[in-house]
Amino acid sequence: MTGLGATMVRAGRRLLSSLPALFGVLVFTFLLMRVLPGDPAVFFASGPNAGKEEIEQIRKQMGLDKSVPEQLVFYLSDIGHGNLGRSMMTGQPVLKDLRERLPASLELTFTALLIALIAAVPLGVVAALKPGSPVDHGVRLFCALGVCVPTFVSGLLLIYAFYYLLGLAPDPTGRIDVFTSLPPQRTGFLSVDFLLAGDVEGWWAACKQLILPAVSMALFVIAPLARITRASMLVSLGSDFVRTARSVGLSWRKVVITYALRNAILPVITIAGIVFSTMLGANVLVEKVFSWPGVASYALDALLSSDYAPVQGFVLLMASLFVLVNLVVDICYGIADPRVSIG
Amino acid sequence: MRLVSFRPAACLAATAALLLVANAPAQAQTRAETLRYVTGASVNTLDPNIPGSTRESFALSMSTYDRLVAFGRKELNGKWVFDLDKITGELAESYDVSPDGLKLTFRLRKDAKFQDGSPVTADDVKWSLDRCVTAPILGKAQLLTGSLTSADQFKVIDPLTIEVTLPKPDKLALPNLATVYPMIINSKLAKEHATADDPWATAWLKEHTAGSGAYVIETFKPGEQVIVKRNEDWNRGSPGKPAFFKRVIIQSVPEPATRANLVERGDADLVVDLQASDVQSLEAKGKLKVISTPQYNSITFVSMNNQMPPFDNVNVRRAIAFALPYDDMFKAALFGRGAPLFGASWPDGKPANGIYPFQAPLKTDLDKAREYLKAAGLPEGFSTTFSFNVGQASTAEPMASLVKESLAKIGIKVDIQKLPDAQMSTQINEKKLPFFTEGIVAWLPSTDYFYRNFYTGNQRWNYSSINNPELAAIAQEARFEPDKAKYEEDGRKLNAIHFSEMPQIPLWQPNQDAVMASSIEGYTYEFHRQVDYRDVGRK
Repeated sequence: MTGLGATMVRAGRRLLSSLPALFGVLVFTFLLMRVLPGDPAVFFASGPNAGKEEIEQIRKQMGLDKSVPEQLVFYLSDIGHGNLGRSMMTGQPVLKDLRERLPASLELTFTALLIALIAAVPLGVVAALKPGSPVDHGVRLFCALGVCVPTFVSGLLLIYAFYYLLGLAPDPTGRIDVFTSLPPQRTGFLSVDFLLAGDVEGWWAACKQLILPAVSMALFVIAPLARITRASMLVSLGSDFVRTARSVGLSWRKVVITYALRNAILPVITIAGIVFSTMLGANVLVEKVFSWPGVASYALDALLSSDYAPVQGFVLLMASLFVLVNLVVDICYGIADPRVSIG
Repeated sequence: MRLVSFRPAACLAATAALLLVANAPAQAQTRAETLRYVTGASVNTLDPNIPGSTRESFALSMSTYDRLVAFGRKELNGKWVFDLDKITGELAESYDVSPDGLKLTFRLRKDAKFQDGSPVTADDVKWSLDRCVTAPILGKAQLLTGSLTSADQFKVIDPLTIEVTLPKPDKLALPNLATVYPMIINSKLAKEHATADDPWATAWLKEHTAGSGAYVIETFKPGEQVIVKRNEDWNRGSPGKPAFFKRVIIQSVPEPATRANLVERGDADLVVDLQASDVQSLEAKGKLKVISTPQYNSITFVSMNNQMPPFDNVNVRRAIAFALPYDDMFKAALFGRGAPLFGASWPDGKPANGIYPFQAPLKTDLDKAREYLKAAGLPEGFSTTFSFNVGQASTAEPMASLVKESLAKIGIKVDIQKLPDAQMSTQINEKKLPFFTEGIVAWLPSTDYFYRNFYTGNQRWNYSSINNPELAAIAQEARFEPDKAKYEEDGRKLNAIHFSEMPQIPLWQPNQDAVMASSIEGYTYEFHRQVDYRDVGRK
């Protein structure tokens, strides 16, 4: 148990040491938004007849009538009180928007990553077992195709095929069919909430909505995962301990899965962590195509209309998530390879 | 032991069965009585008066709130459009305009109730109109255009009568009361939520409704969807009847191709913001109903900054006007879906009528363009930038390339500049763009209104920054001109000045392409360019 305790202490220390970085991100985003051309007040005062007075009104409402250092102080004190400001675009507090939208993005990203891992690891292993064979080339071709088709193209193609032509998928509009009533919110993950509420039909409806966007995101990240699995497996299969294991006559299964794969999995975990963080921010195209109410499309809309508060809130959220994901990856290292400890 | 382990499974099965039985027929029945409207935009506030509110918010408020009066509708080339000249009572049972045009008297319906059951009284009307002209909200600037500026102008005569006094007989006062902003709010309910800092309850009304309208908010998720259910007591449309649809779902679907798929598959009933290319293919398939109405209260133009060289020279502006490739632009940007504002013939060289927007006698004539450039002292041409915003890229991008190509033929080198929407509006406001395309719209499209708002003064909506005292004087005078013939004459003069000064080049009025399931009927093109959910029904 002391091992676990020590891990927790180290994890806590790491979290603390990432605080300066988060603060830096905070200030940097704040300044960056103010340096970008485009005056949010003018943009939002765009109703017919909105004149100088309305622009001033909005500027005051957003606190833009004060000097930049003053604004920064107000902003930091707001953050200290857990207030991320209010979005002009949705008219809601940013914290509320993010809290509602983050589970949607996380659910999608987790599912996509899961699909990608389930597909990529076996593909990589198969390719590594017979390097240079037609199977290896087949995997390489599949990966190349996945990477070179942008996610929104694969998304639109999937919609065209499975929704428009075949009618198998539900309409690609968000997390749940508009006619289905929502379960009481517990985790924010619809697939979990439906199960907790014991509504199997609803659960299936939510899963059906999730499949297409998750697959189009997964297609894009299968390639890096499969390639790294293959490379790492090749090294591991050619190493002394595998040769020894083979020579003492262990079963194929034991050799490949227990010895070779476990030793090869470290770099895959690293890449999976990085892939996860990028996916969360970069799935904006999938979110747009499938009308998925996630954080990335929210941030993009905010950026286009120079709505400062949501963009700043989004960047802060992403930075915090990145810190967390790195921590989780490090802890996973320890589980996969007891020799590694996080420090 | 056995019994205990058996129970949860039985419960689950029973619940599932119950759900199936309960849900299946109810859903099948409500689908026909539900309107599912999909849009690329979203509703961001329940009070359209809040600065920054979107057009979808305007449309929603038409259904959740009533106004004193409403626009009628008329048939224009076989399509229903709103009628500016026919104003009917909504909460007002009847209204009178005094002979001198200075007093408007409204008598309220006796049966009108707010959604919480309390009756609509003249006090509520007064509070709502007072709010519109005093609170720091969007209604203020709008009502100003109808000479409604102060709370003193609204007087309660008795609980069901209210009187509006005008300083001048302003033709636009009555139509202004039918626009989005002067909605009638349940003042008792709103006052309960007012604070010392916010006496007009703007914060509360942003998230809640307190109206008497045809629909009640069921769920409101900003940026995602709004679901409203019918107010059974509402009878302002046809006597004794509520609105047709029991429920309306307003859902944001950002991807236009997905919106097209949804409506084609029959999962959505109505959409008005598809891409022109999608509309064309859907129309060709013939399965859906497509109602295309030129947005006759809007105009897309190419504007030049009249204060900035070389566009301060009228001959340069004329040269550009004759060098634009109108037909190609119209086809490439809109697939010809709209009403062109070029290619007219003015046989006597004078405007055909006094209506704005007018169709100008412009066509591509490069020789003429070169002559004008020579007259401007720039026979070799010059370099400039042509800007448009990202939001309009689907139409403006092909257009910009054609402008660049065509102007290159007369020696003008154009750099295309694509700006994020907020940047574009900032630069327009600061008058920094030399040459760009934009679109404008007026809720109350009268000639003087357009000229006063878009061609006078050093203000944001004067896109071309034109400063022509004669034009400003005529437009101002026309505002209060009671004589129709004289008004028409003023309009002709204004159009003639516009054509000779060429501050900006009118291009076209794009179509509003409403694509709907073939069972949907009653769609009307409204002044706010969105769907009024009260108009539509199902066969």
